[in-house]
Amino acid sequence: MKKIYPFVLLLIVCQLITQAQEAKRIISLVPWVTKSLYLMGEQSRLVGCTSYCPVEASDHIPVVANAMSVNIEKTLTLKPDVVIASSLNKPETIDNLRKLGIKVVLQPYPKSFVEICAYFIQIGELVGQGAKAKDIVDQQKVRLAKLKARVPAGKNPKVFIQIGAKPLFCAVPETFMEDFIQFSGGKNIAEALKLGSVTREYVLKQNPDVIFIVTMGIVAEEEKNTWQSYQALSATKNKKIFILDADKTCSPTPILFVDALEEMIKLMY
Amino acid sequence: MQKKYLHWSLYLAGLIVLLVASVVLSLSVGEMNLGFMDIFSILRKGNGSMEYTILSQIRFPRVLLGIAVGGSLSLSGILLQGVYRNPLVEPYTLGISGGASLGVAVAIVFGLQHLIGSFVLPISGFAGAFLIIFLVYTISSRSGRINIQSMLLSGVMISFIASSLMMLMMATTSSENLHGIIFWIMGSLDEPDMSLIYITLILAFTSLVASYFFVQPLNALRLGEEKARHLGINTDTTIKLLFLLASLLAGVSVAVAGVIGFVGLIIPHLMRLLVGSDYRILLVSSFLSGSIFLVLSDVIARTIISPNELPIGVITGIVGGIVFLLMMGRSSLRTLKNN
Amino acid sequence: MNSSILNIQNLCCGYPKFQLSEINMNVRKGSFSGIIGPNGSGKTTLFRAITGTLSIKSGKILLGDKNLRLFSLRQRAQSIAIVSQFIDAGDMSVEDYVLMGRIPYHSRFSFFESEEDFKIAQKYMEMTDTWRFKDRLMSELSGGEQQLAAIARALTQQPELLLLDEPTSHLDITHQVHILNVLQQLNQEMGLSVLMVIHDLNLASEYCDQLILVNQGKIHTQGTPEEVLTFQNIEDVYNTVVVTQNNPLSGKPAIFLASRKVLKEIQEKLAE
Repeated sequence: MKKIYPFVLLLIVCQLITQAQEAKRIISLVPWVTKSLYLMGEQSRLVGCTSYCPVEASDHIPVVANAMSVNIEKTLTLKPDVVIASSLNKPETIDNLRKLGIKVVLQPYPKSFVEICAYFIQIGELVGQGAKAKDIVDQQKVRLAKLKARVPAGKNPKVFIQIGAKPLFCAVPETFMEDFIQFSGGKNIAEALKLGSVTREYVLKQNPDVIFIVTMGIVAEEEKNTWQSYQALSATKNKKIFILDADKTCSPTPILFVDALEEMIKLMY
Repeated sequence: MQKKYLHWSLYLAGLIVLLVASVVLSLSVGEMNLGFMDIFSILRKGNGSMEYTILSQIRFPRVLLGIAVGGSLSLSGILLQGVYRNPLVEPYTLGISGGASLGVAVAIVFGLQHLIGSFVLPISGFAGAFLIIFLVYTISSRSGRINIQSMLLSGVMISFIASSLMMLMMATTSSENLHGIIFWIMGSLDEPDMSLIYITLILAFTSLVASYFFVQPLNALRLGEEKARHLGINTDTTIKLLFLLASLLAGVSVAVAGVIGFVGLIIPHLMRLLVGSDYRILLVSSFLSGSIFLVLSDVIARTIISPNELPIGVITGIVGGIVFLLMMGRSSLRTLKNN
Repeated sequence: MNSSILNIQNLCCGYPKFQLSEINMNVRKGSFSGIIGPNGSGKTTLFRAITGTLSIKSGKILLGDKNLRLFSLRQRAQSIAIVSQFIDAGDMSVEDYVLMGRIPYHSRFSFFESEEDFKIAQKYMEMTDTWRFKDRLMSELSGGEQQLAAIARALTQQPELLLLDEPTSHLDITHQVHILNVLQQLNQEMGLSVLMVIHDLNLASEYCDQLILVNQGKIHTQGTPEEVLTFQNIEDVYNTVVVTQNNPLSGKPAIFLASRKVLKEIQEKLAE
């Protein structure tokens, strides 16, 4: 009996150590990281977020940042264990936070589905839910495989994903949006481009078979009407001009990615 | 006497030819290069081909807008320079672009276009411009008689305030909105709404005709405000009306196409160097050259980093500035030779 | 009966710091009149009130027998032509500049100058000897030549009264005499009434048949040069001791100035 005590003690210590390593108080400066935490059910750890993070109002999570700047003072007073930032945050902000002794973890912007999954798992490990995160990822990978199988072979429609209106912006390779197109068996009309700001004429010349408009609000409707007015356009003839919800489509989390892909494939074929 | 009128007719003819040539160039050049002869056959074949769509729905509207905005801005510039007798005055010195930019910034930041629609942008741009025009006009006519210098000063000051307010908004909004505001500010002839283009075009040509009713006062003003009065010209009424006309032209241009700078400054100067200072020829030549300049700048903006598009304000600034410096250089060489 | 071309009654006008008060003045039709007076006396203010640049507080100005207030700007420009001291016409050709004098006669919709306009302009340019450089730019002319062009322009307005603001002050004697000769010729041959503000008392005496001496915002004396240019008047108004004698060539009063040194010597001599 007495032999159990050291063992139990060891377990408790290990548990304490891992718990100590888990981040309990997280401030997220990255919307999709916030979303990921929700997806894992770990939103209670969130003590701070940005004004444009997809949080539930009922959770009353304090806002520490807006689009242009981070309120460093407020961040400090909330005593976070870790602040998660991304390449979209200013390097000076990250430096400042580090200088003040706050741990900052950088989440790069995922450039593909593979990266989306990898980063999701990273966040999971950060909150001690690595296993759960991995589960979610595996589930989505299975879903993805099924979806890919449903894609009819032989067709290779030209796809244009519009992510901006004034100026006209399209999704280019080296982003996870490219994966949308690839997994659904399509071809990105912008595959040769590095920069996404294009002229309307370019789009017409490429003559996409399918157009997805991923902008917000009425602008999307107007863009749809504009594209529909070009009668010689393939997508117009096929009646395949669709508006997708920007929040769902532009959030690089595994679940939302597959959701969006599912909708896309349904619309495309 | 006859010689003068002959020269004018030649200039006019030359400018019209240049305008037609620029239009044809603009219609031919782009992602798909269309030969001159092809244009006719495409038009005849009518609806259905991609070339027809590009030609009629993308290039043609851009050309029309280029003519309208280029003409409007130049006309506005020449009228203002005539009124203020100051060569540094252009439509935007008076704060019109500052006001319009502020109006658009407000609309974008409050997400109005998501609620109401894209046409809210030109309207807020024009509302902003109009507010500035109204402020400048009321401030300067407070003391009864119009004081030209105080008009200029109040315009510049209000412009600064508007710009600062706009930068304040830009500093506190999301990067997506920021991108939208900056893109709008840098100017573009990409406007899918044909009704806006028609409005601008009709306004431009109507204003050109209307401005010719002021040719005499404008020429008299070349001698100065007091001397123009001595010649029987009602300078107060003239200045007020011309100011409003010029502001309207600039306000509508900026609302529809964003801030396209330098056109209202450079073209009038260039024309003065080329055709002289008589407003009878200056008004229409400024209008036409402005149109030509903008149509050609748009061609460059569309093709230079194809398939991406440069903001047209960049082209007008750089190209316009260089061309002007060259002309200034040659004219000062000529005066050196004469002396 | 000499009728009046310009009649000013009880005029009060001016600026916050300087006022003209109770100005009563009469310019005869067909006369060549000069407004003289020291710096700051109100000559220019009076001039501005007549040209309409300065608004009148009280009193009236009659042109002929009609109150100037009843004239529209156009009518005014057809009756009164003004030549300023400095001509700033930029890079206009002389002919174009002179043709501007026809503006008061053009309707809003007239676009081109008529044959008559060109003829009138030519006539007055020949009269002022400016026709020979009609194609040159105004900015290329000398001061005197510009003045002549301005006079030609004023004449194309076909006015009843020609107003000039110190037309000779910045010119050399050749040009001074030349311009005044031209004006005198116009006055005598065309019957044009001329009223000018002039600094030089001797020139004023030589050419004007009527002088108006202004001092401290009031009219000190009005009349012929003999009546106005007296030793006493000049000492009162200009605070300077001068000798007035008759110009040996014309018989008109002429002013002789002396330096302080000379005056002292004279005083000492008189004391003896």
